[in-house]
Amino acid sequence: MSESDMAIIKPDMMKSYIWLETSDGSIQQVEQEVAMFCPMICHQVLQKGAGSSKNSAISLPHKVNPPMLSLIFDYCRFHQLPGRSNKERKVYDEKFMRMDTKRLCELTSAADSLQLKPLVDLTSRALARIIEGKSPEEIREIFHLPDDLTEEEKLEPLKNTMDDPRIRLLNRLYAKKRKELKERAKLKSIEVEERVDERSVDDLLSFINGRDHKGVNTSKSKKKNKKRKEHKNGTCKVFNKDSHNLHSKQRSVEETSSSSLGRVSNLHSMEDDIFSKKAEFEDGYIDDEIDPALKEMLDREVEEFARRLNSSWVLSVGQERQPVHFSINGNGDTRRLTGPAARHK
Amino acid sequence: MNNLPEDCIAKILSLTTPRDVCRSSAVSRCFRSAADTDHVWNHFLPSEFPEGFRAPEGLPTKKHLFFSLVHNPLLLHGSQLSFSLERSTGNKCYMMAARALNITWGHDQRYWQWISLPDARFKEVAALKMVWWLDITGKININLLSDDTLYAAYLVFKWNLDPYGFRQPVEASLVLAGTEHDDVQPSMVSLMQNPGSEQGQHAELRSDDWYEVELGQFFKRRGDMGEIEMSLKETKRPFEKKGLIVHGIEIRPVLP
Repeated sequence: MSESDMAIIKPDMMKSYIWLETSDGSIQQVEQEVAMFCPMICHQVLQKGAGSSKNSAISLPHKVNPPMLSLIFDYCRFHQLPGRSNKERKVYDEKFMRMDTKRLCELTSAADSLQLKPLVDLTSRALARIIEGKSPEEIREIFHLPDDLTEEEKLEPLKNTMDDPRIRLLNRLYAKKRKELKERAKLKSIEVEERVDERSVDDLLSFINGRDHKGVNTSKSKKKNKKRKEHKNGTCKVFNKDSHNLHSKQRSVEETSSSSLGRVSNLHSMEDDIFSKKAEFEDGYIDDEIDPALKEMLDREVEEFARRLNSSWVLSVGQERQPVHFSINGNGDTRRLTGPAARHK
Repeated sequence: MNNLPEDCIAKILSLTTPRDVCRSSAVSRCFRSAADTDHVWNHFLPSEFPEGFRAPEGLPTKKHLFFSLVHNPLLLHGSQLSFSLERSTGNKCYMMAARALNITWGHDQRYWQWISLPDARFKEVAALKMVWWLDITGKININLLSDDTLYAAYLVFKWNLDPYGFRQPVEASLVLAGTEHDDVQPSMVSLMQNPGSEQGQHAELRSDDWYEVELGQFFKRRGDMGEIEMSLKETKRPFEKKGLIVHGIEIRPVLP
């Protein structure tokens, strides 16, 4: 090679490149200042001295495929120039973000593995805008996500957004009844804390009932209610934990319309019947024969309770509420079903 | 989207709203686990809590803390101020007890009585026996509120047995204390729900069975300082007013 040839070659070799290898095995080189914009690559070059030649190419995380890499480098090439104005950068970013959702996800993934935070922020914001306001169905469709949650798991978060303390109360009622039945079966001849459970459930009901007249009960008048009941039943137990829970439940119930709760007060007498019937059984033996019958009666009573709750609910239709279908499965759990699921129990 | 690590999904969700995050819990398993992370709900909780705030005990996650503050207002400051969060944005809401307000003649038992009601958030509410000069003012430090939010202040009240003197509208005003507000006209609001009256705000029934009437609105910007002064007055008409029960003044974001 003549000297003039060497002179031509030299200026090209002055510009340094970084060698990178993507997950598919292909190797490419990128201008140093562009590649160094990515913290992950920067780290590899500075700490480990890699990327200076084809042999020592930096192998990139598997989430970075060639098309994503070229997109990322377009971004880096633009932004690494210090001379750009904020407005220019913003305009570029808006334009850059116009791509389909699948690519957006891939890009987020790739940028995240290269630790390129500004780009991750940008793509995350774009994806957040897509998610906002969409229903779970729509989100699953857009992002091709599997529908791998159970019915119950799907309903759980809706309870928080729609704020239905009455379902929680109902489930508590069921849980307490089940517990009672279990205890009875275990301790046949001993008169146990039947009253314990009764008291707690009474609290629940008097709480519902108390709202009939006055709006929310504070702990003051709840104590009053409790005292009245204590006179009736002759036991004196205070359940601080339950009353605290109730108190917090009260606050959330505040948000429901109180007029409908007036109807719930009818149930108080019904529930009283259940408890007084239980009191009859307490003194004597509890045969196995009575147990299933009692269970059936209790189930029927609670189903009635649920039905009434439902009907009062339908009347108090606000913007977010839809008619709710309750289903009672073998365990006595209430499930709230909407839509097609409501048709089959 | 399946390929995204959970913390990426969590980051994306934290850029949406609490409502969207709750909906996301019903999308798929990976979304659900991302939606429940503390990282997401920390983002919706206020970055600064008011003085005297102590998180309730026994709440396992930030999500629980968020919803606890939405549904159960916390009493601060010797129980005269309650603090809660607005559900869809996490913005801060407050309610000032009647005791925290300046009620002219409120100390005089001939005119106002302080009673306890079971459905009140605070220990005492102010029950009007009879007064000619009705002047209720409250002040709140604008620092307590969330940035870049439009707020409205409401007088929360209800009626005693025989209200009298409230058929006509009364004056309501909301100003930033210390500014020149001689020229600001108070707005006329009606405490009774007269369906016919077109003029100005009128009272609405709340979900907790009290009434409220809007006193005014203001936009809180970052760095705003000072106090907001809210008041309800009727001092011009020469007849008595009776039968009003004042719960307090609530300040909460205006929802679009």
